[in-house]
Amino acid sequence: MTLQTLSRPATEAAPASVPAPARGGRPRRAARVARHLVRRPGLLLAVAVLLLVAAWAVLPQAFTAQDPLGGVPADRLQPPSGAHWFGTDHLGRDVYARVVHGASLTLRTTALAVVVGLVVGSLLGLLAGFLRGWVDDVIGRLVDVLLAIPSILLSLAIITALGFGPVKVAIAVGIGSVATFARVMRAEVLRVSTSVYVEAARASGLRWPAVLGRHVLPNSSGPVLALVALDFGTAVLAVSALSFLGYGTPPPAPEWGALVSGGRDYLATAWWLTTLPGLVIVAVVLAANRVSRALEKTGEDQ
Amino acid sequence: MTTTPSSPRSPRTLRRPVVGLAATASAAALLLSGCSTGADVAGSGASAGGEPVAGGDLTFAITVDSHCIDPQQVGNNDAIAAARQTVASLTAQDPESGEILPWLAESWEVNDDASSYTFHLRDDAAFADGTPIDAAAVKTNFDAIVDLGAVASLGSQYLVGYAGTTVVDERTVTVDFDEPSAQFLQATSTFSLGLLSPGSATLSAEDRCAGKYVGSGPFAVKSYTQDQEIVLEKVAGYAWGSEANQHTGEAYLDTVTFKVIPEASVRTGSLQSGQIDATAALNAVDLPQFDGNGFWLQYRANPGVVFNLFPNESSPLAADEAVRTALVKGIDRQQIVDTVLTPQDRPATGVLSHSTPLFEGADDLLAYDPEGAKKALDDAGWVVGADGIREKDGQKLTTTVTFWQVPEPLELVQQQLRQIGVDLQLKHVTVAEAEAAKESDDFDFDYYNLTRSDADVLRTIFSANARNINQRDPEEVDELLDDSAAATDPEERQRLVAEASRLLLERGHAIPVYELSTTIAAADRVQGLAFEASSRLDFYDAWVTDGAGE
Amino acid sequence: MTRYVLRRAGQGVFVLWAAFTVAFFVLYLLPSDPAALIASGGGEVSQVDPAQLAALRAEYGLDRPILVQYGDALLSALRGDFGASYVSGASATSTVAQALPETLKLTGAALVVAVLGGTAVAVASVFPRARFLRQALSAVPPLGVALPTFFVGLVLLQWFSFRVPVFPAIGNEGAISLVLPTITLAVPAGAQLAQILSRSLRGTLGEPYVETAWAKGASRTRVHLAHALRNAAIPAFTVLGVMEGGLLGGAVVTETVFSRQGLGRLTVQSVNQQDVPVVLAVVVFSALVFVVVSLVVDLVYPLLDPRIQVRAETRPSRSRRAGAVTA
Repeated sequence: MTLQTLSRPATEAAPASVPAPARGGRPRRAARVARHLVRRPGLLLAVAVLLLVAAWAVLPQAFTAQDPLGGVPADRLQPPSGAHWFGTDHLGRDVYARVVHGASLTLRTTALAVVVGLVVGSLLGLLAGFLRGWVDDVIGRLVDVLLAIPSILLSLAIITALGFGPVKVAIAVGIGSVATFARVMRAEVLRVSTSVYVEAARASGLRWPAVLGRHVLPNSSGPVLALVALDFGTAVLAVSALSFLGYGTPPPAPEWGALVSGGRDYLATAWWLTTLPGLVIVAVVLAANRVSRALEKTGEDQ
Repeated sequence: MTTTPSSPRSPRTLRRPVVGLAATASAAALLLSGCSTGADVAGSGASAGGEPVAGGDLTFAITVDSHCIDPQQVGNNDAIAAARQTVASLTAQDPESGEILPWLAESWEVNDDASSYTFHLRDDAAFADGTPIDAAAVKTNFDAIVDLGAVASLGSQYLVGYAGTTVVDERTVTVDFDEPSAQFLQATSTFSLGLLSPGSATLSAEDRCAGKYVGSGPFAVKSYTQDQEIVLEKVAGYAWGSEANQHTGEAYLDTVTFKVIPEASVRTGSLQSGQIDATAALNAVDLPQFDGNGFWLQYRANPGVVFNLFPNESSPLAADEAVRTALVKGIDRQQIVDTVLTPQDRPATGVLSHSTPLFEGADDLLAYDPEGAKKALDDAGWVVGADGIREKDGQKLTTTVTFWQVPEPLELVQQQLRQIGVDLQLKHVTVAEAEAAKESDDFDFDYYNLTRSDADVLRTIFSANARNINQRDPEEVDELLDDSAAATDPEERQRLVAEASRLLLERGHAIPVYELSTTIAAADRVQGLAFEASSRLDFYDAWVTDGAGE
Repeated sequence: MTRYVLRRAGQGVFVLWAAFTVAFFVLYLLPSDPAALIASGGGEVSQVDPAQLAALRAEYGLDRPILVQYGDALLSALRGDFGASYVSGASATSTVAQALPETLKLTGAALVVAVLGGTAVAVASVFPRARFLRQALSAVPPLGVALPTFFVGLVLLQWFSFRVPVFPAIGNEGAISLVLPTITLAVPAGAQLAQILSRSLRGTLGEPYVETAWAKGASRTRVHLAHALRNAAIPAFTVLGVMEGGLLGGAVVTETVFSRQGLGRLTVQSVNQQDVPVVLAVVVFSALVFVVVSLVVDLVYPLLDPRIQVRAETRPSRSRRAGAVTA
């Protein structure tokens, strides 16, 4: 559970879906997705935002020629202008360049955090939902403990113990979302593995690993994927909050959370330092949320 | 400059590191060359406003509450701001001249090798509860400080070698040391050796931290709500102000309220909107709006050792003298001051701050000389690699500085050093971790300053026979430093200190960056708020223009 | 039923113990010397005599093997004694107790505001007939979740305390000082609640019994509020259990921005200063709150939704598993 959010029972609170019948093949799905997108401009915009940010991460030089790490101190604290789209910061660095170059760092950190939560949480949830019994109990208690310790405390303590740096921050944030992934995965696995077609598959002699691979996992994945998109947004915010508290990536790294929290002392005099990177974060989080909702809907429709 | 940090990790980040073992050697006037200890005043209203009036409250913002306000235990500037007002000391130090003046002790004698000090106390001073301040009280205090041990970190350092205190008669007390301790006289002017009532001196450390002590100063603790505020109220009947202040009777203010505000921009906004009256913890970028417009600014450079990069010469790169020399030459100190600090801040012109008694500048050694730096590295075989960073024998010139303070000055240092091919990585940690790293010497370069109004701080940090921050073997400079600790003649002492400073710079054992200064920003209604000798705040002479009649 | 309660209580105790243990060992990993921390008292004097440090270590029992220290700490914790703060020397328990009421006031107020505000926004996002209005209002909760808390707080301060001096920026005095912090803290929590509730509402509005209500001629208001909301609220109710924990986390940032005394700031400061006894006390207390609230929610939930049956079995049946947060 990350700082800003509570648990994400978005899927948990939903009425249990009807077990899914068999789906169509890949080409039909792709075509459906495309039609789906075009009819929903909001979703299209969200996907476009995410693609743009991904492009920033992969090829920052294509989007800005300025140096994100070195500035001309004499040009410090300039408002947004033609020369500097997002203005300059207190050391004269171009803020837009820092945001663009920071995309890769932020996305990497966030992706790592989500992956940690996803892999560890899903594994726990899978084991709990599939094996049930005492395994379920033990894992349930473990998840409870993770939820019981305030995530901020957990993150702070982990970072203080492991040290600073993007990877450690990512791990600390990721551990905070393990509990939610575990719960969602478990609920889905429970639902699917007690469903009729799985019983049928078992009855027809299919062994458990195959049942797992062919039926349980694919059908449980919908809500989990939706959660991934959602978690992405909250992870960005969690990293930003940790930066605010002083536990971010060390300077001069232009990680977005560090940019937002680093500029807050200048809110009254140089608002662009915090606000513009902040808006980028908001846009990414909103886009991720929108995509998450769409994924959920497609999951349900199946 | 009190570069206030940009994060609520700020509690630690704002601590203007204290300490230093040092003392001016004698009561003789110390108007020695280069000793410009005066405060510089900017803005309006600081000394205007007419005659002081009694009454009223002053609300002052501090950054953090370190959960202890016992003057004999505190080490953090915010806590000191409050604690200092509650105790009187044996002596006082003049903020202008650095001279040691009488306070609770009217006169004193020091023996030839500074190992025995006899103080003659005034006969009219009393603790806030009326108990007279006599020789027995002094003895109780010093013994108790020694007993507190490690938690009285500053006081116990001043009393290193303490052999005992003798009560000669009611008004006369002698303090003896096992070894020469030239710094002790100045130490008696500090808050760490301020006097608490005999009953309080023996309370538990924790009760004392909570403010449950009876002091000897012009104010007493009225209430203390952790992480929130400390409220001091004036002590009625206080009549023994020192000559370092402007008056000798009761304090003018009825109460002083210290509010804990961790966020820098909130401090600024609070001052602007009148929710607080004054603070010394504003960000550099916010100061200009308080220069006039109903406010005034006053600043003073903190005496002591300036912000330095301290090389740990047992680590491979810091052991290389060429690297250290390059660092000394390769930092553009003026650019740092111009970019991230305030007009009141100054680039370092020596290892010590210019407001330290016995200071002598070494500007020639600290000029920005990137070409000289590059040459030194070239000569030592460091070749510039493809990414701009130098390497030698397969090793890159990458090293780390460990610190907890605000990163901006170091960010700029990092940027500047890149240009000469040095990759300085910034390891920004919490105060606790920085302390731990210091303890275990687990750093390449350390970074801090020490505020103390005496040059002995140079010796205690750098001498290979003292703290030995460089982790090196004794050499010529250490002899000079150790001799300075026993020198009782101020001119001789200054000579030793100046020579030692130059040697430290030439060998690169110290890499100074800039001088910390403290800037008070206050509303016009506040008058008389001033700095004492170590650039800490003094509320004794402060008054508010609208406090009369309350 | 009693068996179920006892089981859950037992699980709660286990969670408390586990939280304490995890926190203890994580803090033990911290790269610092507690004795040096105690000596410096949170300051940063670095020139303490090693002999004095050793004496301090012995006095606090810091030189004993870690398992012995753990056992001792656990036994004391059972008595409610978490040791003395490394920084102030005061008992950790009393330090936490002192900071607690302020945070409770803040999180309590924020919870109320979040529930009211979140519900209002959720209902507003499904009620209007006009599609564009519904879509516009649906965009509000995600925005509320996407804004960093400290940003919201600082902006509120700029506009409503500094430029237009309506609310105080600092301190804990009086109800008026609670307004801005409560809003700041309530925004992400309320937005989350709104998201969940509106989803739930949309689902409920498609249920057969709602169609029946429409068919019987109920007004739009009645259908939405009396039927849909009441039933949609049930799954959202389970979130409340976790919300208090999230609010506690958000209080950390809010209390710092608004300079309020409280558990949040105490937490950050004690982690920063590696003041282990206080951190342990905070962890156990937060875990306690979580456990109690979870238990209360689990017990109340079946009362709200008669379809849920409480079972004390370990293996889930086809019906909804008792106590699990599935709807």
